[in-house]
Amino acid sequence: MHKTPQVNEVNEFIEIASDFEDPLEVIREALSNSYDANATQVDINIEQDDEGRNTLVIKDNGHGMDEDDLSSFFDLGNSNKNDAIGYKGHGTKIYYKSDKVRVETVKDGTRIESVMNQPWAKLNNRELPTYSIDTTDVDEPSRTRIEVHGFRAGQGFDPKQLTYNKIEHYIKWKTIGGSTAWYFNDDFHEMEIKVELSPSIDDTQDPIETDNRLKFPAENLDPDGEFVAEEMCKHYPPQELTVTLDDSRELTVEVVGMVGGKEARNKLPTYGKHSAQFGIWLAKDHIKVERYNDAIGADNEFFHFFFIANCQGLELSANREKIRNKSGDVYQAITDELDRFMTKVCQDSWYQNYIERRKLEDKKRSIQSQESTLEERLQRTRDEGGLSPSNPAEVIAALERYSANGAPETVRIADFQMDDEVNAILETDNGFENAALHVKLSDFFEEEAALSHIDRLICWKLGDLDALTKIERSSYLGEPIRFDFQSREVHYGGDTKRTIPILELADSVSS
Amino acid sequence: MVSFDIVAEAGEARRGQLRINDRTLETPHLFPVINFYGGGNEGALFGGGVHRTVKEFLTHDNEITGGEDYSDLFRGVMTSISSLADYGIREKKLDWYLGNEIREWDCFSDYNGMIFADSGGYKILKQGGLEGQDFEKDIDQDKALDIQLALGPDIVVNLDHPIHPDDEFEERIEKMEQTAANAARFAERRDEVDGACYLTVHGYYEAMLERSFDLIEDELSEPIPEAFDGIALGSLVPRKDNVEILVEAVSDCKREMQQRGYEDLPLHVLGISGNAMPLLVAVGADTFDSASYLHQAINGKYCVNLFETVPIDEANFDSCECRVCNDDFHRARMRNEMEDLYQKDILGSVAAHNLAVQQRELRKFRQLIAEGDKERVAEYLEEAVKDQKGFRKFAYQLINERINPYFEEIDTTYA
Repeated sequence: MHKTPQVNEVNEFIEIASDFEDPLEVIREALSNSYDANATQVDINIEQDDEGRNTLVIKDNGHGMDEDDLSSFFDLGNSNKNDAIGYKGHGTKIYYKSDKVRVETVKDGTRIESVMNQPWAKLNNRELPTYSIDTTDVDEPSRTRIEVHGFRAGQGFDPKQLTYNKIEHYIKWKTIGGSTAWYFNDDFHEMEIKVELSPSIDDTQDPIETDNRLKFPAENLDPDGEFVAEEMCKHYPPQELTVTLDDSRELTVEVVGMVGGKEARNKLPTYGKHSAQFGIWLAKDHIKVERYNDAIGADNEFFHFFFIANCQGLELSANREKIRNKSGDVYQAITDELDRFMTKVCQDSWYQNYIERRKLEDKKRSIQSQESTLEERLQRTRDEGGLSPSNPAEVIAALERYSANGAPETVRIADFQMDDEVNAILETDNGFENAALHVKLSDFFEEEAALSHIDRLICWKLGDLDALTKIERSSYLGEPIRFDFQSREVHYGGDTKRTIPILELADSVSS
Repeated sequence: MVSFDIVAEAGEARRGQLRINDRTLETPHLFPVINFYGGGNEGALFGGGVHRTVKEFLTHDNEITGGEDYSDLFRGVMTSISSLADYGIREKKLDWYLGNEIREWDCFSDYNGMIFADSGGYKILKQGGLEGQDFEKDIDQDKALDIQLALGPDIVVNLDHPIHPDDEFEERIEKMEQTAANAARFAERRDEVDGACYLTVHGYYEAMLERSFDLIEDELSEPIPEAFDGIALGSLVPRKDNVEILVEAVSDCKREMQQRGYEDLPLHVLGISGNAMPLLVAVGADTFDSASYLHQAINGKYCVNLFETVPIDEANFDSCECRVCNDDFHRARMRNEMEDLYQKDILGSVAAHNLAVQQRELRKFRQLIAEGDKERVAEYLEEAVKDQKGFRKFAYQLINERINPYFEEIDTTYA
């Protein structure tokens, strides 16, 4: 006897609809469907009423749907699209997370109005929602209008989190709106996209009006000027790489990209952290999916690059967020070929020149900043009457002057280790001493450095006397401490008391 | 009579014909290193082991070669005077070896390829001379040349003092000065050589090579092209695995030669072969020498191509086009399927195969250069390194900068 495994349909719908967590995915789904319907115009409106209910309205002038198409729209796993962006029949199920879905569509002179009421409530009530169909003959061009009332996605769809720049970035980075197909196809299917948010969501700018071409900033191969590397930009024109698999199957990888400095890259429609956006993208349907920055090797920094490598041999997870055939030979062959191509880009003379120029300019900037720091130091030194240490090394210089200017004793640095708590070994009239040497004495105590091995404290100035007094009034590393500013001494310890002399250089050297 | 004619060029790669007396060698070419005297007697074909089997290939010993002629693998061979004492021989035997030129021994009388007799600078200077069981000989330029000439060579080279990448500057200069002094003494005895005289230069980049050439020119009483027939670039063995350094050294040496007007002289790269060879040919190297084919075999390694080796028992002979692998006799030997096989018989066939792989690549390259098409040369190089991740970067850099830029020619106006 053979038995057929059963599917719990309600749970399946809930699962699939819940796969889509990001509210922006509704925009991707809408654009993909409109593109597959050959639309040249698609308008998306997102509104929120006073009671917080969300309504999405998606309109396009594509070829519309007949009853079969509408079945695919509502059915699960029953897409009638073969080589289109959506082919699993999962995407539109995101709309089930709503209070009502209304579809109005015209195809070949037939208008269908279809309504599904309370899909999400019914599913959660273990009931499959139904939809109505009303058909009329009309004399108007094909189109589709989808209304999704009371839409919720992920943890609850909050349109207030949406902003125009976030949506624009998403369209160009994650949807067909950022397609690179136009670089490769002469008969490219262009689509105008308009997204409007109700003013209660974002009133900071006009609605988004864009097309479905991802364009690079203009080339700027060799700009004039002293600091120009950030503006430099080179396009690496579309190339079709052929990948042959072990079983002789051939795949095509369509690569296009640019290399450029920060200013050039900022002209791309990006939002948020750049580190998450640049690099080498693997794409399917010319929509970016995942980055594969390994292709540029460890010698190069990925953020100079923005390349898109499209291959239809990649297989994606239902929500298009991940490549799911990574362990297969197809993925391996694609990435191997991409590695080779990107090695060529990295060996391109222009790129090498760009990197060199960038390094040189960074160096120049550092010199300029050094110059300005030098000027500041000079000014400070003038103001302070000749010497004003800002680090331990300069305190050593002050100490040299102190000893040379007929001080009561000679103190010389015998050894100095910048980061040690006991950073100096002194040679004094009384032999060698361990010392802590700081610009301000208060810095030493604020760092809570141990006093155990210190014979003497040397500073340019005592620093913040209040901070020292505060320490004196509590304790220092669990032991009593007293600062005698008059006689320049620190008295430290409970049962075994120690007195540590302080050498303050500012007054002795200046006078 | 010595002549070197360039018959075709593709970019900086060139195909040439090196004629020395009545022998001609098509370049680029690899001189496999041969130890003619393996410490043995004449009857034992001068020693045993894999060295002996390789010589049996070289001299068409039918029992060993299975009746096939493998002489094309040995059109030119390199032998070093330092190898004479490899087996701790007695002085009497050394004198006996040097009593006849190589081709005067019956067992080598059929060998008609070119013999490049190296002065063995690296080994001799490391050991302080030639050392056998009952003798120690200090070797200077005159003694080295005497021994080289006793072998009856077609090409000889001055005794050099190879530099090392870790040498301090002063140490390097001292070695270069000694090499230059040797070169001058070598040039004085030019008339004693009935063949080609090569001059060694040393350095890893232009400034070093410039100094090496300058020091030699200062010592010589005549221009380099009048005293020498070829340039041999040395000291690269410690850097043999760093293709970037090798390419830079050969490329800079070529540039120096061009600037000084020596570009018509053949450039030999001492001690290098294998995966770097195609790239070095691409920047203008003409000949190479190496014992790697032999050392790989001795270590049980079978070359799949220029980049990869596998243990001999994992080798797939069906996927190799060489004659050794397509001969059932050698297959049976390499698989150790015949009775009473010595290790030298197994590994000797492997060594011949390994050499065939390298010679085959150079033959392909010669054909490509003959077509004079830079793009085909670039394609060949690209294909050869496509799966070599670490190597690829340098190969692509070379192709991009020196042969065929990847992106500059492409129209950047889109649809």
